[in-house]
Amino acid sequence: MKQVNIQFPLRMLGLILGLFLSVSAFAQIDVKGHVKDATGEPIIGATVRVDGTQTATVTDFDGNFVLKAKQGADITVTYVGYQDAKVKAAPNVVVILREDAAVLNEVVVIGYGAVKKSDLTGSVTALKPDSKNKGLVVNAQEMMQGKIAGVNVTSDGGTPGGSSTIRIRGGSSLNASNSPLVVIDGVPMDGNGVKGLANPLSMVNPQDIESFNVLKDASATAIYGSRGSNGVIIITTKKGRKGSTPQVSYAGSVTMSMKKKTVDVLDGDQYRTLAKQIYAGHMSEESILSQLGSANTDWQKEIYRTAWSHDHNVTVAGAFKNLPYRLSLGYTNQQGILKTSDFKRYTAALNLNPSLFEDHLTLNLNAKGMWARSQYANTGAIGAAVAFDPTQPVYDSTAKNFGGYWEWQIPGGSLNDPSWPTTTNRNATSNPVALLNLNDDHAISRSFIGNADIDYKIHGFEDLRLHLTLGADVSEGKQWTDVDAASPAAIYYGNHGWDKITKRNLTLSTYAQYYKDFAKIHHFDIMGGYEWQHFWRSQHNNYWGLYPSTNSEHPGEKHDESTYSYKTENYLVSFFGRMNYILMDRYYITATLRNDGSSRFKDHWKLYPSAAFAYKMSEEKIFKNIDWLSDLKLRLSYGKTGQQEGIGDYNYFAVYAMNTGVGSYYDVSGDGTLARPDAYDPNLKWETTDTYNIGLDFGAFNQRLTFSIDAYYRKTTDLINKADVAAGTNFKNTVWTNIGKMENKGIELTIGAKPIQTKDWFWTIDYNLTYNHNEITALIGGDDPNYFVPTGGIGGGTGVNAQAHAVGHPAYSYYVYQQVYDKEGKPIEGLVVDRNGDGVITEADKYFYKSPTAPVTMGLSSRLEYKNFDFGFTLRASIGNYVFNNLMSGNVNMSAGELYSNGNNYFGNRPVAALDYNWQTYDLEAKLSDHWVQNGSFLKCDNITLGYSFDNLLKMGSYKGVSGRVYATASNVFCITKYKGIDPEVFGGIDNNLYPRPISFILGVNLNF
Amino acid sequence: MKTYIKNIIPAAALLVAVGFSSCTKDLDVTPIDPNLNTEIQPEQLFNKCYANIAVAGNGGANGDCDVDGIDGGTSGYVRQMWNAQELTTDEAICGWGDEGIANFCYNTYDASHPMLRGYYYRLYTGISFCNQYLQEFSDYNAAMTAEVRFIRALNYFNLMDGWGNVPFATSITSEKPVQYSRQEIFNFVESELLEIEPNLNAATAKKSSDSGYGRVDKAAAWLLLARIYLNAEVYTGTAQWAKAAEYAKKVMDSSYKLNTNGVGEWSAYQMLFMGDNGETNAAYEAVFPILQDGVRTTSWGTTLFMLASTHDADMADYNGTTEAWGGNRARPQLIEKFFPNHDAPEAEPADVVVAAGDDRAIFDTRGRELDNTDPSTFKSGYAVAKYNNYTTTGASTSSAQFPDGDFFLMRVAEAYLTYAEAQARLNGGATNTEAANAINALRTRANADTKANYSLDEICDEWCREFYFEGRRRMDLVRFGKFGGSNDYLWQWKGGTFNGRNFDASKNLFAIPTTDLTANPNLTQNPGY
Repeated sequence: MKQVNIQFPLRMLGLILGLFLSVSAFAQIDVKGHVKDATGEPIIGATVRVDGTQTATVTDFDGNFVLKAKQGADITVTYVGYQDAKVKAAPNVVVILREDAAVLNEVVVIGYGAVKKSDLTGSVTALKPDSKNKGLVVNAQEMMQGKIAGVNVTSDGGTPGGSSTIRIRGGSSLNASNSPLVVIDGVPMDGNGVKGLANPLSMVNPQDIESFNVLKDASATAIYGSRGSNGVIIITTKKGRKGSTPQVSYAGSVTMSMKKKTVDVLDGDQYRTLAKQIYAGHMSEESILSQLGSANTDWQKEIYRTAWSHDHNVTVAGAFKNLPYRLSLGYTNQQGILKTSDFKRYTAALNLNPSLFEDHLTLNLNAKGMWARSQYANTGAIGAAVAFDPTQPVYDSTAKNFGGYWEWQIPGGSLNDPSWPTTTNRNATSNPVALLNLNDDHAISRSFIGNADIDYKIHGFEDLRLHLTLGADVSEGKQWTDVDAASPAAIYYGNHGWDKITKRNLTLSTYAQYYKDFAKIHHFDIMGGYEWQHFWRSQHNNYWGLYPSTNSEHPGEKHDESTYSYKTENYLVSFFGRMNYILMDRYYITATLRNDGSSRFKDHWKLYPSAAFAYKMSEEKIFKNIDWLSDLKLRLSYGKTGQQEGIGDYNYFAVYAMNTGVGSYYDVSGDGTLARPDAYDPNLKWETTDTYNIGLDFGAFNQRLTFSIDAYYRKTTDLINKADVAAGTNFKNTVWTNIGKMENKGIELTIGAKPIQTKDWFWTIDYNLTYNHNEITALIGGDDPNYFVPTGGIGGGTGVNAQAHAVGHPAYSYYVYQQVYDKEGKPIEGLVVDRNGDGVITEADKYFYKSPTAPVTMGLSSRLEYKNFDFGFTLRASIGNYVFNNLMSGNVNMSAGELYSNGNNYFGNRPVAALDYNWQTYDLEAKLSDHWVQNGSFLKCDNITLGYSFDNLLKMGSYKGVSGRVYATASNVFCITKYKGIDPEVFGGIDNNLYPRPISFILGVNLNF
Repeated sequence: MKTYIKNIIPAAALLVAVGFSSCTKDLDVTPIDPNLNTEIQPEQLFNKCYANIAVAGNGGANGDCDVDGIDGGTSGYVRQMWNAQELTTDEAICGWGDEGIANFCYNTYDASHPMLRGYYYRLYTGISFCNQYLQEFSDYNAAMTAEVRFIRALNYFNLMDGWGNVPFATSITSEKPVQYSRQEIFNFVESELLEIEPNLNAATAKKSSDSGYGRVDKAAAWLLLARIYLNAEVYTGTAQWAKAAEYAKKVMDSSYKLNTNGVGEWSAYQMLFMGDNGETNAAYEAVFPILQDGVRTTSWGTTLFMLASTHDADMADYNGTTEAWGGNRARPQLIEKFFPNHDAPEAEPADVVVAAGDDRAIFDTRGRELDNTDPSTFKSGYAVAKYNNYTTTGASTSSAQFPDGDFFLMRVAEAYLTYAEAQARLNGGATNTEAANAINALRTRANADTKANYSLDEICDEWCREFYFEGRRRMDLVRFGKFGGSNDYLWQWKGGTFNGRNFDASKNLFAIPTTDLTANPNLTQNPGY
């Protein structure tokens, strides 16, 4: 059984393995046994063997087996994906198998096929979601956070149903996409989401996920050719089991979330005292101070709440005659801690995987549907709550036009409406409670992902297999916006309308695979295939304001109505192949080739090759004799991959873009429409990454200790950069073109240990470490050190950027002025180093200082089980990431002109920490000082879980009772950091009022009926 | 069993075959996006050539900016021209922390200046649109072709005035353009204007209700010619005062005319800067109005910039929109042109106008100090209330946020002062009767007192009084030798010190942006950078 039939569902493999084993009987006792997993679910098809004999069998549909053995003989139970278990033969035995993600026999799904983990030549990490310690998981990506070396997952803050950003080995792009390709049940997805569903990973209920396989090096990803450069995440969803009786299970949880930390700002009394101090003797002292209120409002308290969430999943799995099925229904209701934000989701997934004709024809049919409703809060309230004057009350009974909320007002003459004598001051901070409550912004999203896998092993020529996958991904998200006319966000006219995105992607892929063993020591297989994909997407929106009924000229009429619609599509057509050769179970060679044709480029076609070599040293005689050594393998690989996401569908030929939206007409001729010739580069092509990888896998003590190290060098060429073109040569000053180069060098380390495995005790520890160094090596076709591309806009001025891309530095490095400090180490306001010594401070005095991306990240998770109790935790560390503290940089000006803002007539609150600074100006140098670039290294505890498993609850008569587990989890428990802001984990590195990640307490139960 | 196989294999083969044959064809796409066209009406590109100087991009005020690397709202032609021409001078100062603002105000701009880069590329983007029109549609309509050539010439004029020696292209090719000297650009602009003049429509003053309002005619070509001749000594080393006077006179004698009658409470001068300036007789003064409309044509960087950036919340009722950003305000030297004795009253604009004896002194001085003691504070300096979004009839405008008022990029008053200055220069530095009459026409319109003779210095001041905050001051100061390299005339914060200090004459030209020097090896940086 060297060739693993790669299309068989995982659990069927064991069953089939077992069928080949002969069953013989001796005059011994009958051993009746039951095999189940740690959650109490019976294991079907596990192999049960009496040690030292030929006696063996497999467990039946209920996990039971019967065999004959000598009393007290050792019986070994094995099953793919679980650790082997041994029991002594007795009339009745119960065997609990422990899951083991690291066992070498595990089948790992790779692109267009699967391999045994031990036969892998590339860098692939398989992750089964930790079913026992997963924390508050609404999106699939969170299950990977901190678990896989080389994979960084950063959530976009605490938005309910919000998504995350995933980077594998630092990404390969600067301006296009750095997100990995996601493949769900064999169907490569596009990288886009729709309204309410940020990306394809949010389209799957995490409870339905069987495994993640992350392909990192080019040997593994090159089979995905032009989409492989950012790594590939293959998601396999759960399936039904052949021959199983219907199993009903339920998983549910209740979560309480609360804010962890708020910005420490002045309270009303402190603020009044401060204002009186600052304006004493000021020319407008009296009129300014008369604007102070008498309240003591804690605005941050007003906008946050303790949020409750619950999650329910019901699964029915089994087999109807020869038709294994799994049906799951899920419901999630998540409240956000920012008032008015919540997320509701219903999911349904159906899987059918029958096999016919003596398993020659296997089908795997999946349908996954989702309906979600995201209620968005106006997150502007987060910053407004920090900045709003604490002396003012939340409500103002005299403010009839402002929904009863207190607002900074100015005369309303421009509205020409006598019933609006005042309007809100648009420069002033808006009442955060009004921003939340006078706003209804929600998205309803629907998605369907369906795929059919047909796998046929040719009768009479079983070495050849044909495979066909048909997939469809149809999603639609529509977002409704309804901002009240009283809301400061859209005063007077309000803002109403909707925005809808629809996408429709179709996939057809087919391949044939032939495999053969020769002379016992040669194994050979070859696969060749073809894929066709069509990605289609449209967007429509319609927004309008409404004149209030009090308007004298247009009461109730629409104001400023705009509509927009757009459609786009692209095609990808590919031919691909893979060849594996294994000599003596020791030397492994893999070569892949993909020829991709993309409609996004004039030269459609490009070839992506890869090659890998592995040497399983543990099979050598000298190592074989070392008892404790269970695995030692060296892996080498090289490959070329591409990147084409985030590049427009029509960027290589001349088109005119028509004007869009209200306000975009110019009435000098015709109907006032505008046609703009768009800039383009006819020679645009893929970004290409060459990846070199060397890896070593090491296992000891029957894989109880595993160790894996990979070092890689990735060089991206033809990096697509929006490059400056010579003025006058194109239709814009920049054009997307292939001129940059970038390198990523890194080391990944994974250590897994199971220090204790006894009858009652079980302990695992998993640790991973990633080091990645990113550096831009060319930007404009050369390595001009003075050239940079500004990026990273910050709040506090229009067009102020705190970051830049430049040669010799990591992407998104901070590009700032160098602060001068006094003897006490305090920054001197506005004083920065004239680095070029020309006597004046200009942009030329900025320098590159640190980067938002951590060079070192680590994850540590552990689980300890004692009898029925389990305890687990996950820690995650990030070292060397820097954060631009925009909240402080924009809030340290305590001058008389700023506190009561600069002629804009409103008071703004300040963080308590700003008192120490007491700065008086808003010079650009002060705002862009490296003082605000602060060390954001952190150690976070993502989850702590305590659980208790039980069996046979409510057992009556023949009914075996309910098995399951109850658990309590705390999520986002603590964060150890020197960073002074709310949370140092900010994707992109500009910290400006992120939706805070809550701390959550979860109580949950899993039940199997 | 066998039949199954018989069915499956051909079925699979068929699927594969269908897939293969459709594959390569699918890769040759044409856009399905209704917003992208491979063929268009000439008018649509013609409009775009105009719109490049009126709005930021293809998406109205909010979105799809035509220029990259600069905030979209900041990138508007008027806003960029205004910043470069006003913040660098004795007229205006701004306290915002936007990158580049302080370098303008303190005359420390260099080749990396982000706003000058944005302005430079805005001009070249316009040139490319015009080149595309001329390449595709030059035979479509002679007047339209001439207008597009005018706009291209105007963009080159701005480049010549700001940067001097710049890359030159009259068609879209991948060839990197060569650098023209300031003289060569001058020659090109002059010959273009002379060549297109016969094809432009006759000089006819228009209101928005007349067809052709917003388009240029012969008068615009004359006025731009008058402008380049007036500054010819700066651009080429050879003065051309007589030609400046000749072309200015053509404009003065055309149907375009000064708006001399106020309506209701609004003065004739004030009417030029109001929400309905395209609808009233003020429009007859606009040789080249840039159109704005609160609903159809919106921009953060045109009229709205003028009125919002100069107002704060205390003055909200004085601009007629909900926008008041509190940024640009007067330097004391601007106020001195009306109140040489520093005796402006602390009052609202109507009273300041009376105290100045000049309708043009539209300043709000309440709660503000004359000096720009703290440049970052809007109250530090008098506010300029010249621009508003009210209508002379009191009718409401189409939006409370975006103004309806057009921006008069070229107006007849320029011809009067050009004529006066050119005559004075020809006359040894003193005005003759005709020249004095031209100045007095403006002063009379402003209800200011008149004189029989004006010195060159007085003419320089008159340029300020008539055109302050309209985006041309730097050009005038350079011509009068009062900008960089001169100790004769200092203004507050000139060169970065409170009392002002000279800065180097090399700063009279802007630096070619580093980005273009890198992208185009044919270019040489201006001296001093």
